[in-house]
Amino acid sequence: MRAGDTRALEELYDRNNGLLYSVVLRIVRSGADAEEVLQESWLQIWRGAGTYNEARGTVGAWLVTVARSRAIDRIRSEGSRARAEESAGADPPPPTEDASANAAHRQMSERVSRALEKLGPQHRQVLELAYFGGLTQSEISERLNAPLGTVKSWTRQALIRLSDLVPQEEWT
Amino acid sequence: MTPHKDEYLELCAGYVLGNLTEEEARTVEAHLAEGCSACETEINRLGRGAMAFASATPRLLEPSSLRARVLDTVRNDGGQRDGQRERGRERRRPIPLPPRRIAPVLGWMGAVAAVLIAAFALYEWRAASRLERDLAAARQEVSRLNQQIQSEREWAAVATAPQTRTIELKPTPAGQPQLHARVTYDPATRRALVAVSDFVTPPGKDYQLWAITKTGPMSLGLLRTDPQGRALIRLDDAGDPFTLAAFAVSLENAGGAPTPTAPAGPVVMVGKIGT
Repeated sequence: MRAGDTRALEELYDRNNGLLYSVVLRIVRSGADAEEVLQESWLQIWRGAGTYNEARGTVGAWLVTVARSRAIDRIRSEGSRARAEESAGADPPPPTEDASANAAHRQMSERVSRALEKLGPQHRQVLELAYFGGLTQSEISERLNAPLGTVKSWTRQALIRLSDLVPQEEWT
Repeated sequence: MTPHKDEYLELCAGYVLGNLTEEEARTVEAHLAEGCSACETEINRLGRGAMAFASATPRLLEPSSLRARVLDTVRNDGGQRDGQRERGRERRRPIPLPPRRIAPVLGWMGAVAAVLIAAFALYEWRAASRLERDLAAARQEVSRLNQQIQSEREWAAVATAPQTRTIELKPTPAGQPQLHARVTYDPATRRALVAVSDFVTPPGKDYQLWAITKTGPMSLGLLRTDPQGRALIRLDDAGDPFTLAAFAVSLENAGGAPTPTAPAGPVVMVGKIGT
């Protein structure tokens, strides 16, 4: 893709966009916004293929990071919903679950739930607020009425616990 | 190179989730740019955790037209870039135009016309500025109304989405039999609408709504009703569909249970989420 091969991009899209769409929709909560965010994200991915750093993780993780950052920028910016409405005309029909993908992801979801259960509900909550809500650590601290240092510890503990679910060899 | 400190490791989780302050993020970036292998390893490890968390998101079918639109956008972008390169290579010198000639007898008429045009342009410019200000205000109002409509549309979708579940809560032996509560929950967006009626709150007490998950109860807030005991509450996040098992209502001392993870008063209503 770094060489400008659009077929490589198509392959990446087919392999990853299902997850990207689900994550982005979970953040922006509007079908029209999710589609706009994904169009911008894939353009950014296409233009910035050279910025991908293998040492920091897989291509899939990089794609999710790009799309998630765009989605969070979207919910933080004002008036985005209005623009989406103007350009799309009307919202698409409500999304339905992807039955083919759900068996595999359900298994992962259960493993994530089990891993977080061993810690505590607050660990899941800080991840939810940070990952899907786009809240800063200070905002989470205020929201949960917990000291900032505690929020940081919960976040780190939760991510470390979950990191065991993705073996190192699958990652690099 | 700045020596590695454990404080940097503390910042790595926020860096992976992108929720550090700008200053903290700059500190981590600068430290990584110096080649700290301990922090690089930590970011790699925490990144795996974030990816596992993302992978657990319920998968939704994307609109079938999205793929073509994304790929077209990218292809057009590629074409434009190629086109720009091509134009850059073939840049030519501009062709000089011959100087304009004005007949001397018409010179003074031209000057008068120029003054009239300038005056007219000034008048038009002022009128246009006024219109632009009015237009900007109108656009702002339209934008606000569109946001409101969009929000209402999204909440309406909670009730109509095909995956939405309706949970009727039933009074427990500790609850009054006239209590009515219904939760409409959309597992895709995790939003919920809660409608209650005949909830007459005893003095000094409050009704509190709970999500019962595999890891235990989580407070969803107090049920503030009108004098007739009715309320319609919108919940932005009622819980993860893969851990959520039921909704419940407890009767607490005014202000609610002391902790958000356990009711202190009796549970007066419960409704399990069907599969």
